[in-house]
Amino acid sequence: MALEHVAQGQTRFFTPGVAPDPRGILLGRYCLMTFATLEGAVSWFRLYSSEASLDELLANLTITKARTALGSREIVVQIPAVSSYAADRSARLARLVGGAIYTGTSKHYVKYRDDRSPYGYDAVDIGAMPAGMDFMVHGDEFAQGYIREGDLPFGRLLFRLSIRKLPGGERLGPDDRGELYLAVARGLADGIIRYLWRNKVEAQAGLFTPGSTSAFDDQVRGRGYMLIRARALPERILALFLGTPGIDVFRPAGANAAVAVGHEHPIDLASCASVFPPETFHVFWPNDRVDVLPGPLTLSDIGDLTRVDLELDRPRDPAQHTGAPAEPIGVELKLAASMGPPRRVVATLIPLEHGSRLKRILFALPPVSLRGHRVAATDRGILVVGSENLDVIPLGQLLYELAPGLLVPLGMDVVPRVSPDVLARALGHGAGIVTVFTAEGRPFQVSESAFATLERRALAKLDVERAEGIDYAGEASAEAQVVNDAVGRFALWGFPDAPDRKLLPPGK
Amino acid sequence: MPKLHVREFLERFVRPLVAGGELHVAAPIPLADVERWTGELDHASVELVAVDEARHVVLSTLVCRPPAFVLDSDELCLAAGLHNALFLVHPRADQWSVSEKQRRRIIETALALVSQPLSRNRTRVMARHALLNNLFHLTRNDVTVSWWTGRARFHGQTPPARLVAWKGMRRVREEVTVVDFDELLAVPDTAPVIATLLRRTPMTQLLDSHPGAPPLHWEDAVFLLRDSELARAVAYRLVPDAGPRDQVIGPARLAAAFEQMLERAPEEADIRAVAAFLVHLNALFCLGEMSLREAGARSPLISTVLSAEAAGQRPRGLATLFALPGALALVDPRLSVPPGVESIPALAKRWMVHRAQTAELLSDAVIDALAQRLRRHLRPGQVARDPSEVIALSPNESSEQDPAPQG
Repeated sequence: MALEHVAQGQTRFFTPGVAPDPRGILLGRYCLMTFATLEGAVSWFRLYSSEASLDELLANLTITKARTALGSREIVVQIPAVSSYAADRSARLARLVGGAIYTGTSKHYVKYRDDRSPYGYDAVDIGAMPAGMDFMVHGDEFAQGYIREGDLPFGRLLFRLSIRKLPGGERLGPDDRGELYLAVARGLADGIIRYLWRNKVEAQAGLFTPGSTSAFDDQVRGRGYMLIRARALPERILALFLGTPGIDVFRPAGANAAVAVGHEHPIDLASCASVFPPETFHVFWPNDRVDVLPGPLTLSDIGDLTRVDLELDRPRDPAQHTGAPAEPIGVELKLAASMGPPRRVVATLIPLEHGSRLKRILFALPPVSLRGHRVAATDRGILVVGSENLDVIPLGQLLYELAPGLLVPLGMDVVPRVSPDVLARALGHGAGIVTVFTAEGRPFQVSESAFATLERRALAKLDVERAEGIDYAGEASAEAQVVNDAVGRFALWGFPDAPDRKLLPPGK
Repeated sequence: MPKLHVREFLERFVRPLVAGGELHVAAPIPLADVERWTGELDHASVELVAVDEARHVVLSTLVCRPPAFVLDSDELCLAAGLHNALFLVHPRADQWSVSEKQRRRIIETALALVSQPLSRNRTRVMARHALLNNLFHLTRNDVTVSWWTGRARFHGQTPPARLVAWKGMRRVREEVTVVDFDELLAVPDTAPVIATLLRRTPMTQLLDSHPGAPPLHWEDAVFLLRDSELARAVAYRLVPDAGPRDQVIGPARLAAAFEQMLERAPEEADIRAVAAFLVHLNALFCLGEMSLREAGARSPLISTVLSAEAAGQRPRGLATLFALPGALALVDPRLSVPPGVESIPALAKRWMVHRAQTAELLSDAVIDALAQRLRRHLRPGQVARDPSEVIALSPNESSEQDPAPQG
C-alpha cells in the first residue's frame, strides 16, 4: 500500500473518479468520513453546523453504519465535495473529533490532503476490490474495505437527539427576546392574552394541536395549547412566564423550528433548515418531546382576542349632542389717546375737499420732497405716503406707522395693545396692502398698486409733439449705367486729328 | 449738326458719372469742343452746381468737411476723355463706316484729354476722385433679342419697338447681359486711356479697384498716406465689415502693389510710409477681433485666408501683407508695431496672437525673403530719428515729416 503525493499541476491520477480542482487539489465528487462511534459523527455535525450551513451538504449527505472485513463497525458519513474549501473545513473538524476523511467518487476513496501533501494523495496500486465489499478507503499504510449495514437518515438523527439544558440559558438579551413563542395551556390563555395586551406587548396567538400519527391517540386533543408569538417581551415578563407552570417559552431556531428557552439542540437547527418541511413547525420541548405543528403558523393579533362583555338586556341608545359655534371672546379694537412720545409721521389722509389746497402746496414743495412721496386717491380721502418725515404737508390727518403698512392717526394708539403681528392677522393685513385707521369711522385698506408717485400725479397729461429725425447720412449712389445714344452713320466725319503735343506734362 | 452745349454734357454724362444714373455716350468729343466748353462753363451754373453737390455727397462719407471746389477745365477734360474712351465700345465704332484710322484718332484724342497734369493738391485729388468714384462700377446692359427668324444684339441701347412687338406670335425673347469694367474699359483700345486716367486720380485707385484695372503705382499715391484724415478714410474703406475673404481683398491688392514698388527704386520715406500703412491695416484686423470671447484664441480671419488648403486661392500680395510686420521686426522694429498698440492690453494680445499664427502658417522663409527685399531699401546703418522726437522739437513740421499715418 502506498500513497503518492500529488504534484502541482498534476492532472493524471491512478485513483478513479478524482480530478484536480481549480486550486490543483485532488478532489472526487464526495468526501467520506469514518468515525469509530456515532457520537463522533454527531460531534462533527455539531461543530460543522456551528461554523457553516449544513444545508448545502444535505442534498447528498448519507450516514451509513458499515462493517469491515474483520467485523469492526464504524459510522461513515458521506458528504458532497462542494469545493475544496468545504472539504478543508470538513477535514479539519473530522480530525478534531478523531475521524478520518477520504475523497473519491464511487468505490475507491483516497486520503484527503493534509499538511504533508497540500495537493492531496493518489493511490498508486489500486487493485481489484475484495468480494463483498461495497467501497474501499486508501490510507497512508492501509486500504480498508467496508460493507454497508444500514443507513441512518439525518432527519431521524436530528429528532433523536435530546436538547440540552444550558447553564444560564434562561437569561436572554434584548436581541434574543426580539421574538419568542409562548406555549400556554388553554386554561391560562385568556389571562395571558389580557396580561400581554395590558402590558402593550405586540403578540399574535393561535390554537394548535400537535399532529399525531396514531389512530388510537385520543388524548391528542387534550394536549392542544395556545401558541403566542410575542415580540420584544420585557425581561420581567419573561422571568414571570418561565416560572409559571403551564407556560413554556420557546426561542425560534430557523424559520420552522423553535427550541425551549434555556435549552439548546446539539446541532444548530438554523443551519439545517431544509430538514424541516415548509408545511410544518417543529417545537422542541425539554425531555425529548418534539411537537410538529402545521406551518407556517397562522396567528391572530391578541388585541382582537381580549374578552368582550355584552349586556344585551340593557341596551343603551346613543345620546345625541349638538354642536354650536364657540362664543366670541374677542374685544373690539378702539383708538385711544396715546401716552407715548410722538412718533414719526409717514402719511397723511387729506379729505377730498382739501385737494385744491394740496395742489397749491405741491408747487411750493422742494423737488426732494416731491420725489419721495406716493399718493393714492380713495373715496375716504387722498392718502399721501412718504418715505421720510411727511410733516411738510400740513394737511389732513397725520398718520404714523404702527407696523409696515399699518397706519394709525398721530397721537392715538390701538387698544387693546396687541402685538402688530396679531393686529395685522386680525385685520387681514399683509404685504401689498396699506391699512389706515381713522379717528372717526372704521379702518380701510388700499392696495399698494393704487399708489403713484406724487411727482407723476402732480402733472396733468401733456401733449408733446414728436419731432422727426433728420438723417444726415450720405445717400447711397445709384448705379452708373452706360447708355449708348444713337449717332448718325457719319458721326465721325470731320473728326479732327489729335494735336501733336506732349501727352504727359510734368507733375507737381 | 448743331454744336453740343456743355450743360448737356454735364447733365447727360458728368452728373450720372458722379451720382449714378444713365451716362449717355454719343459721338466722340473733339478737343476743340472741350476748349469751347471751358468757356461755356460760366453759362451752365445750374448743371455745374448739381455736379459739385453730387461730388460733395460722395466725399462726405470720406472726410468730415469736404473742401469747396468747382468743376474745372482739367476735370472737364478727364470726363470728356472718359466719354471718348466709352465711345470706343459704342456699337457704331465697330461698324464699317469707322475706319481704323478714325479709331486711332479717337484714342489719341482721348489720351490727350486725360493727360492732364498729375496733382498732389489735396482738394484737387479729392475733386478728381469724386468725379471718377464710379469708374470701376460702370456697367452696360446689353440686350439680346431673339425672334423666330433671327436675333440681334443691342449694346447699351434699347431695342426698337418693331423687333419686340407681338412677343407671343413671333416668339420674341429678350436676354439682358450686364457687362462691366472688363468689357467696357479694359479692352485693348481703352486700357491705355484708363491707365492714364487712373494715374490722375490716385485716391480712386487706393479706395477702389477692379481685377481688370491696372495696378496701383504706389509712388503716385503715397502722398495721400501723409494726410492722416485721408489715410484713415482709406484704411477704413479697405477693411470692410464683411467675411474674412472680402476683408483682405483690398489690403492684399495694396500689398501686391507694394511688392511691385520694392522692385523699383522708390524713396526710402515712401517705402516706410507704405509699410507703416500696411502694418496699420494688420492692426485693424486685430481690432476687429477684440470682441472674441477668448482673448488668446486663434484668429478665425488668418485661419481662413492663410490656411494651407486655401493656398491656391490666396489673392496676390496676401502673404506679403501678413508677413510684413514680421519682416519689419527683423529690419526696422520701430515700423513693425503700430504706435499705441501696447497701450491697449487686449489689442496687444491679439497682435501677438496674429503674429504667432502668421509665422506658423507662412513659415519663416517667406518672412526672411521679404526682410531681404526690404533691407535693399531701408538702410539699417542710418539711424532714423524717432518720429516722436521730431514732433517734440518742431510741432509745425511734424505732420509733414512723419511718414506713418496717425490713424
